[in-house]
Amino acid sequence: MEFNDGYPVYETMAVHDEDHGKHVRKVIWKVFWIMLGVTLVELFVGFKAESLGLGKVFLQFFFIGLTIVKAGYIVLSFMHLGDEVKALKWVLLGPFIVLVLYLIFMVDVGEGNYAKSRRYVMDKNVTDAPHHASGETKQGEAHQGAAEHH
Amino acid sequence: MSSHAATTQVKANWGGGGVSPLGASYGKLYMWFFLVSDAFTFSGLLTAYGFMRHKYTDFWPNPGHVFHHFPFYEGSVPLAYVGLMTFILIMSSVTMVLAVEAGHRNKKNEVAKWMLLTIIGGLMFVGSQAWEWYNFISGTAEGAVRNIFVDGVWKDQLIHGANLQYNEYGLPVFGDFFFFITGFHGFHVFSGVVINFIIYLNVIKGTYEKRGHYEMVEKVGLYWHFVDLVWVFVFTFFYLL
Repeated sequence: MEFNDGYPVYETMAVHDEDHGKHVRKVIWKVFWIMLGVTLVELFVGFKAESLGLGKVFLQFFFIGLTIVKAGYIVLSFMHLGDEVKALKWVLLGPFIVLVLYLIFMVDVGEGNYAKSRRYVMDKNVTDAPHHASGETKQGEAHQGAAEHH
Repeated sequence: MSSHAATTQVKANWGGGGVSPLGASYGKLYMWFFLVSDAFTFSGLLTAYGFMRHKYTDFWPNPGHVFHHFPFYEGSVPLAYVGLMTFILIMSSVTMVLAVEAGHRNKKNEVAKWMLLTIIGGLMFVGSQAWEWYNFISGTAEGAVRNIFVDGVWKDQLIHGANLQYNEYGLPVFGDFFFFITGFHGFHVFSGVVINFIIYLNVIKGTYEKRGHYEMVEKVGLYWHFVDLVWVFVFTFFYLL
């Protein structure tokens, strides 16, 4: 390992002294308290959701929003992606922007709507079938019903 | 010195070989790219879970009714145990990042200390998950009558708990997703503990002290934080929503 080709030594770039270490540790613990706080709020709201009368759509946005906040802290702070160069951030996070767009599309106009139509038909079947898994034929009928409905 | 000239020349060409691109070492980039692909695997699993849940909303078990046990406590406390598990994993993520920070100051003993605490946290989490599985598999004493497929026919039968074929609490597919996704995540945690342990031994042996840097700790740290990251999503989609 005793060669010097003038390339930057990435392995030792993040090396720092005691003073800077103190600052880094302070940030780590700050992030920890934020994450703990967010998790406790999530648990409290999850626990009280019914008695507070919170709507389902509100809860979905609330929980997914806070999850993304936590994910952001983990990736940018704990995994130090915030300190990497801009190009690396884009290379790593860019694909997930595409994934999120795809998911929004699927939920809004694709499979989500299809599933809704199936759910409606299944509801009708439930009234005369006490158990959910009431055999293959019921499922088949439900499917035909959905096709006619269109 | 000629090294300065070399540096500027290398900076200009991105993929010319030799120097690692994107301002990070090859080792770290490989870990990042692996994690991106692994994240897509988990995204696929959770997306499939989301679609099934959306389709069978009316029959989906309420997680609060399924997971409400707490060790050494007879009563029912929804979400408390999984909240504790989340805390354990976040805590072990903190000890991991503290190990990385100690590595940046080349403090061998501190790195070893925080690595060991991370390993303990990981083992605690895997143990907690085993207990959670145990409760889900064994179910309640009363059980529930479900229409299940046995020996080629559908029949009503009293069942307790859940496995891949039936589920006391509701749709069997809930159990399938639960076992597969938390199992896949739990296996990641287990692998993480094993990898962390190997690196911990190397730290103690002084491998990285000799090498002059603790980047290996940083790399396994990336993997460990990723495991925490996945749990944050599993926690939301399985237990909160």
